[in-house]
Amino acid sequence: MATDLTISLHRAMYMAQAIRDAMGVFDDFATFSMEKKGDHYEVTIRDVDPEVDGDIVGEFSNFALAHTIERKRRTPK
Amino acid sequence: MAQHTLERFDADSNTAVLSLDAGIYPLDAVYGAAYALIDRAYVLLDKEARAEGKGSRFLIQLRGKIKLDQAAAQALSGEFGNELLSQALRRKVVKQNGGLIEEIVTQAIAGATGASLPQDFLDDDDDDLDFLDDPLGIAVPWEEKFKKDGKKNA
Repeated sequence: MATDLTISLHRAMYMAQAIRDAMGVFDDFATFSMEKKGDHYEVTIRDVDPEVDGDIVGEFSNFALAHTIERKRRTPK
Repeated sequence: MAQHTLERFDADSNTAVLSLDAGIYPLDAVYGAAYALIDRAYVLLDKEARAEGKGSRFLIQLRGKIKLDQAAAQALSGEFGNELLSQALRRKVVKQNGGLIEEIVTQAIAGATGASLPQDFLDDDDDDLDFLDDPLGIAVPWEEKFKKDGKKNA
């Protein structure tokens, strides 16, 4: 049985909407769930498609980070 | 003390961890530097409070997309540090000159739409001229204008 993967993303550094965007994009390759734990959003990744040969955790966190940055740049201060 | 340091490098997980004083670098600069490295590394940002409430620090985890050794990890973290400085400076310059930049762009856009043409440009004091009049001699042929005196009389 495949083990679950978890990533902790700090709530001051990552936007929840950007993480949800990433979950939507990677939805075809695994099952994602997110919950708040203290200062972090904890994302659990299950049932990773065995055909996926890339680093899904790394790609997911890069996507969430890039979308956070892009969203923050679009939002007027 | 260095303001950004390569805290550790783990060859097995191909990961370098840097720490930065959160009081020195703005989050926007950290974002900018992380964004610049996103094509070469998997970047994970974190923040933790220092012991005894002495501020906080950013932790930047850079996991190479290709295999890294100690020297490559050092180079990657150095690049992150350079990018961080560049981003911080860029933000400072924009902040200092924001008003001026805004004014220049406003004038350029207004100029392009014809909204702010100078008044003397619009003043038309040649109303009494006929379309056949040529006060500047523009319609005079070149040969006629510059022919030698001898030929002029011929």
